[in-house]
Amino acid sequence: MKTAAVNRNVRSRRSLSRNDRFTLSAFVGIPTLLQIVFLWFPTLVTVVLSFTYWNGINVSDIKWAGLANYKNIFFGSPVFYDALKNNVVWLLWFTFIATPLGILLAYQFDRKIKGHQIYETIFYMPVVLSLAIIGIIWNFMLQPGGFVQGVMGRDIGNAVSIWGNYSINSYVIMAVASWRHIGYIMLLYLAGLKAFDSSLREASAIDGATEWQTFRKIIFPTMRPVNVIILVITIIDSLRAFDLVYIIYGTSTAWPLLNILAFQNFAGQGISMKGAAYSVIALVLCVVPILVYLRNVFKEDLE
Amino acid sequence: MSDVNNGISRRSVLKGAAIGGAGLVAGGSLLAGCGKKQVTGDVHFTIRGNLSDAGAKIAIAANDAYTKKTGNKVISQAVNSDDFQNNFVQIMQGTPDDAFGWMAGWRTNARADAGLLADVSDQVKALGSSLSAAAIQGATNPSDGKQYIIPTTYYPWGLHYRKSTMQELGLNPESIATWDDLIKLCEATQKKGLVGYALGDKGGWEAMGTFDILNMRLNGYQFHIDLLNGKEKWTDAKVVDVFTHMGQLIPYMNKNVLDISWDGMRDLLLQKKCGAMMMGSWFANDFKAKSQEDYDDLWIVPFPEINPEHGIDSIDAPLDGISVAANGKNPEGGADLAGFLGSKEGIDAAVAAGDTNIYISSDFDTSSYDAFNKQKLAVLGAAKNIGFFLDRDTRGDFAGPVVGPAIQSFLKNPKDLTKILESTQAQWDALPAL
Repeated sequence: MKTAAVNRNVRSRRSLSRNDRFTLSAFVGIPTLLQIVFLWFPTLVTVVLSFTYWNGINVSDIKWAGLANYKNIFFGSPVFYDALKNNVVWLLWFTFIATPLGILLAYQFDRKIKGHQIYETIFYMPVVLSLAIIGIIWNFMLQPGGFVQGVMGRDIGNAVSIWGNYSINSYVIMAVASWRHIGYIMLLYLAGLKAFDSSLREASAIDGATEWQTFRKIIFPTMRPVNVIILVITIIDSLRAFDLVYIIYGTSTAWPLLNILAFQNFAGQGISMKGAAYSVIALVLCVVPILVYLRNVFKEDLE
Repeated sequence: MSDVNNGISRRSVLKGAAIGGAGLVAGGSLLAGCGKKQVTGDVHFTIRGNLSDAGAKIAIAANDAYTKKTGNKVISQAVNSDDFQNNFVQIMQGTPDDAFGWMAGWRTNARADAGLLADVSDQVKALGSSLSAAAIQGATNPSDGKQYIIPTTYYPWGLHYRKSTMQELGLNPESIATWDDLIKLCEATQKKGLVGYALGDKGGWEAMGTFDILNMRLNGYQFHIDLLNGKEKWTDAKVVDVFTHMGQLIPYMNKNVLDISWDGMRDLLLQKKCGAMMMGSWFANDFKAKSQEDYDDLWIVPFPEINPEHGIDSIDAPLDGISVAANGKNPEGGADLAGFLGSKEGIDAAVAAGDTNIYISSDFDTSSYDAFNKQKLAVLGAAKNIGFFLDRDTRGDFAGPVVGPAIQSFLKNPKDLTKILESTQAQWDALPAL
């Protein structure tokens, strides 16, 4: 076995012509180089800067700060916990409400219910818009003086407080973000379901399984690769949330998110490396759960 | 942070403007500066705001006048004001426009120290006696004694209202002298179904105007500036007192303070939905752009006295002007344009285009000021100490990221005050040395 594998490796390596090798190294090398230059290098610099004091202008002004920025965030900035809470709410909402709704829609449309193409188009429509555009649209609709307020006959003075009302604004923001997320998940899942072997479904129907049993025991496990992608997308989208809220609230941290705080401190009027520290915290929160999850998935697959 | 630039009393700025026409005697001499060297080449200019704003049209008119005079083309672009301020350091390190409207104080001095702004001391010198010594002092960077902004206009922060609205309500804000009077005014306005004390703080800075004036009224100018520069503590009972007073205004505010920004406040007044509003007078340009009738209806009075010890001796009156980017393509051209915009010709062009700002230059004939501008001068003249506004009087990494959210949190939940102030102080203490 072992020798065969080695032989195969040797053979395949030999069979690469010079041209092939050039193509291969170009295809792997150039993206890797770009990744290093435009992603890994800035990330590394951000991590290093998060341990310094700097106003972002002259490199010679950089001073070592140790853990001071992190201490300041964890013990001195209550707004950090507000942001963390909002990010967690976003994650929970997406995981337990928006994503399952997208899956449900995909499942229904896959059964070719009457007019499913129209519904699909309707739900898919927001996905072609970026979250920034969605922010602009809904801000125009809901802000004082906006369309919805006008329809309700409210002027600026007595406009219903939405973005500034803390008992509802989180839900409104979640709903607006879900408007796009549901369609996105629906599309991904629908693509997966299209590739689903319908004989499995027929077999389970013959065995007398209920609709729910079929979905839970047959379809959902079979769709595993798609599920992984959806979960990762949901986590990343929740933690990197920025544009929608930035459009609505600007740099003021009226409804803070980790990335808004990073931006406010990093790119605002008074630049401080507290912003870099916020970015690093967001990065860790984003990367760690995904790495852990992916590792588990791959381990199971190997077994 | 030095408080040299804050510590001065700039009463003479006002005097300089008030005596107005008298400076015309010196008028002939200042033009000499413009003719000494012919600067050529296109100049790029950033307008802070939207192209549709009244301010943009005024800036373009003034720039056109410069082109007409020198033959140098001015290419203007409008950039959202908040975006420009937030990304200022990045923009200045890239390929910035040569000149732009800017604000005196920390935002100019700190950026000049970092080498981002060009020295315009020569242009300021060329403007000569048209600028009062105090105006020049206000525009001078304390760390090197040079000017990095040509001061052009300033405006008071005060209580704005519509005369017609108050008349209908049978109220007279000009007669309010004390805190109780103000509360009564708010109450009476609210009873008639209008917003008593209009405020928007979605942007995070608008309510700083109310904070500033309450602090200066209650604790005096010196305490205010000391607080903003770390010499006093945010946990001080005096600061608690400021927020307690702000809390007393909350019942009279619109119920959507955190939903609207300054433009929402402006619209409240424009649409006659509110009584009094604490704001800087710069927004009057938009009233004039709407209609002369709306503009004529606008009035301003000083915020009333609270503590007799300080009377109404202080005011926020930010000094605006033109700065030149050190990294621009044509810094000389930028400086030349900036000098022109601060000169009589530039001011005349701007005023002809409908600018309602009051100019610092004594070359501008104040006798032609309309009633509102004369009232602005009167409001400014009542004060002896002038603040630049919170976000120009303190560090940029403190004003926006710390004080802004602190005031928002207070407006959201006044009961959290102790916690908010403790955290504000802790965050000041955690700032790195400059």
